Amino acid sequence: MTSGAARYFAMAQKELLELVRSFKLLWVPLVFVLLGIMQPVSMYYMPLILEKAGNMPVGSVIEIPMPLGAEVLAQTLQQFGTLGLLVLVLAGMGTVSAERNSGAAALILVKPVSSFSYIASKWTSLLLLAWGSLTAGYLSSWYYTSLLIGEVDASRVLGSLLVYGLWLSFALALTLLFSTLLRSPAAAAFSALGASAALSLLAGVFPKQAGWLPGSLSGFAYQIASSGSAGSDRFGWSLACTAAAIAGSLLLAGQSLKRSASVD
Amino acid sequence: MNENIDVTQLLPILAPIFLIQLVLMVFALVLCLKAERTRGPKWMWALIIIFVNLAGPIAFFLFGRRNDG
Amino acid sequence: MSVPLLEVNGLSKTFGSVQAVGGIDFLICEGRCVALLGPNGAGKTTTIRIIAGLLKQSAGTVGFVDGDHVGTGGNRAMIGYLPQAPSFYNWMTGLEYVVYAGRLCGLPRSHAVSRAKELLERVGLNAAAKRRIGSYSGGMKQRLGLAQALVHRPKLLVLDEPVSALDPIGRREVLELLQELKRETTVLFSTHVLPDAEELCDDVIIINKGAIALQGNIAEIRSRYRQPVIELELERDEPSLKWADAFAERHRSGTNVSSQTAGLIYDVSRQGASVRFSVTEVDAAREQLLGELAAEKVRVSRLQVGYTSLEDLFMKVVSL
Repeated sequence: MTSGAARYFAMAQKELLELVRSFKLLWVPLVFVLLGIMQPVSMYYMPLILEKAGNMPVGSVIEIPMPLGAEVLAQTLQQFGTLGLLVLVLAGMGTVSAERNSGAAALILVKPVSSFSYIASKWTSLLLLAWGSLTAGYLSSWYYTSLLIGEVDASRVLGSLLVYGLWLSFALALTLLFSTLLRSPAAAAFSALGASAALSLLAGVFPKQAGWLPGSLSGFAYQIASSGSAGSDRFGWSLACTAAAIAGSLLLAGQSLKRSASVD
Repeated sequence: MNENIDVTQLLPILAPIFLIQLVLMVFALVLCLKAERTRGPKWMWALIIIFVNLAGPIAFFLFGRRNDG
Repeated sequence: MSVPLLEVNGLSKTFGSVQAVGGIDFLICEGRCVALLGPNGAGKTTTIRIIAGLLKQSAGTVGFVDGDHVGTGGNRAMIGYLPQAPSFYNWMTGLEYVVYAGRLCGLPRSHAVSRAKELLERVGLNAAAKRRIGSYSGGMKQRLGLAQALVHRPKLLVLDEPVSALDPIGRREVLELLQELKRETTVLFSTHVLPDAEELCDDVIIINKGAIALQGNIAEIRSRYRQPVIELELERDEPSLKWADAFAERHRSGTNVSSQTAGLIYDVSRQGASVRFSVTEVDAAREQLLGELAAEKVRVSRLQVGYTSLEDLFMKVVSL
C-alpha cells in the first residue's frame, strides 16, 4: 500500500467513525426506511382513509384502482427525491466548511496529506451514508409493496436503485463542492439543492434537449422502476455525463481547498 | 377490498411505522437531554421532538446539536 | 558549532494593499529555541503560518538546510505545527486524535498507537487519554496539540502564541512542558509577552510592523544593550517636579547649564514622581546630579543606580 493510500484510508476511517459517533449512520437510514414503508402502506389504505375522512353517503361505492406495485416503487423514489435528498444534503452541508470554520481542518491539512485525499475521504463517507440509506429504504419499500400490493421484478428494483443512487451521489458531490467553496453550511445546502432542482426541472421540461444532463437520472430511475427500461437513447449519455460531473466537482473541490488552505 | 378492515390485521402492518418513529423520537430525546449544549433552549427542543412528528427529531439531529468548537 | 536548520530569506506577504510581513531574513539553528517576539499585529502569526505551509508568501523563500543545499518551500513532514487556539474533533478521545495524527504523517497503525501513548504520557495526559477531547480544559488541549505536533518526530516545532490564550495554571503547565521539550528538538514560537520569551528561548527575533527590529542570542543582546541608568524618586512637591521638567527641557533643547552633564546623560524621562536618566558613565553622572540636586534643593526620596532591562529595549525597539 502506498503512503498516499494509507493516509486516505486513515482519513476515511475517521470519517466513518464520525458517521457512527454522530449517529448519522443510524438515524438517516431509519428516516429512509420510514419513507419507504409509508408509501406502499398509504397507497394500500388510501381507499379506507378516504372513506373514513369523507362524509360519504351510506352505500356509495368507492372505486379507486389499486396501483401496480411498480408504480408504488416509482412513487417511493419520488419521496426519496424530495424529503430524502433534503435530509442527505442537510446532513452533508457542513462536511468541509464546519471543519474549516472551527480550525480543525487547518490542523489536519498542515500534515503531509493531500487535499484530494481529504476530499476523497469526505466523499467516501457521504457515499456510504447515501447508498446505505437508499438501499435500506428502497428494500423496505419493496418488501411492503410485494406484501400489500403486488410483486415487482428484482431486476427493476436493482436497476432503478443503481440509477437513483447515482443521482443522489451527484447531488452529494455538489454538496461537497459547495461546502468547500462556501463558508456557510446553509449557503452550501441551498446551492446544492437549488442546482439539483434546476437540473431536474430542466430535464423534465426539455427531455429532448437536456436529456443527457444528470438531472434526467431521477426520471430514468422512475421509468426503470415502473416500466422496466429507461426508454430513452439519452440514458447512456446521462450516465456518462453524471460520472464526469461528479469527478469534476471533486477535483474542483480538492483544487480549491489546496489553494485556499491558507484562509482556513 | 374488504370494507371492514380488522384492527388485528392492521396492526402488524402499521406497527413498524410507529416503532421507527418512536425509536427516532426517544433517541433524539435522549441525545437532547444528555447534550451539554444545544443550539437554543433544551426544553424547546424536547417539545419539538415530542410533538412534531418525524420532522422534530430530524430537525434536532440536523440543527440542534453543537459538535464543533 | 551550530548547524543551520531553517533559512528564511526575504520573506514578505501582502494581503490586498496591506503589507503584513515586509522582507524578513533569519536563520534557525539546530537545537535552538527561538522566540519570534513582537507586539500584536507585527506579523508574527503570518510568518509562522507561512513557515508551517498554511499560507503562501508573496515573495521570498523558506527552506530547510540540508548540508549546503537549501530546500525551497515548507516541508510539511519536517514541521510540527500548533496554532494559537487549536481545534480538534471533540467527539474523538485524546488518544484517538494523536494516533490519527500519526497515521496522517505516514506511521503504520501499531507504530502510531505506541508513539501516541508515549507522547500522551510525556505531556501528562495519560489519565485523560481515553476521555473525549470535548471535555478537555484549555491547557489540556494545548498539551494535546503539542503531542499531535510531535508525533512524527519533526525537525522543527512551530508554535503560534502557545500560552497566550491560557489561564495562569494552563500557562504554567505548558511553559514547563516547553522547557523540557526544547531540549529535544528545535523550537520556533511566537509571543507578544517578553517574560515568556526570556523564560524559554536561546535566540530572539524581535519583529515590528513586519520587519525585523533586532535579532540574536538573548544573553548577548541583554549584555550588549545593557545601559546604566540612574533612577530618582522625588517627593511629590511642586518645586521638585518643576525641577525635573525643567531639567528634561534643558536636556532636550541642549541648553543644559551645567555643561558637563550634557555628555554624560543622553536621555531623560519622567513618569509621575520618578525620573530616569540614561547615562554613559555612572560615577560621573551621579556626582553631577547630586550636586545639582543639592543646589536646587530638590527633595529626593530615593536614588537608584541600575541597568536597562530587556523590557526597556523591547519597548524602545517596537515603539520606533
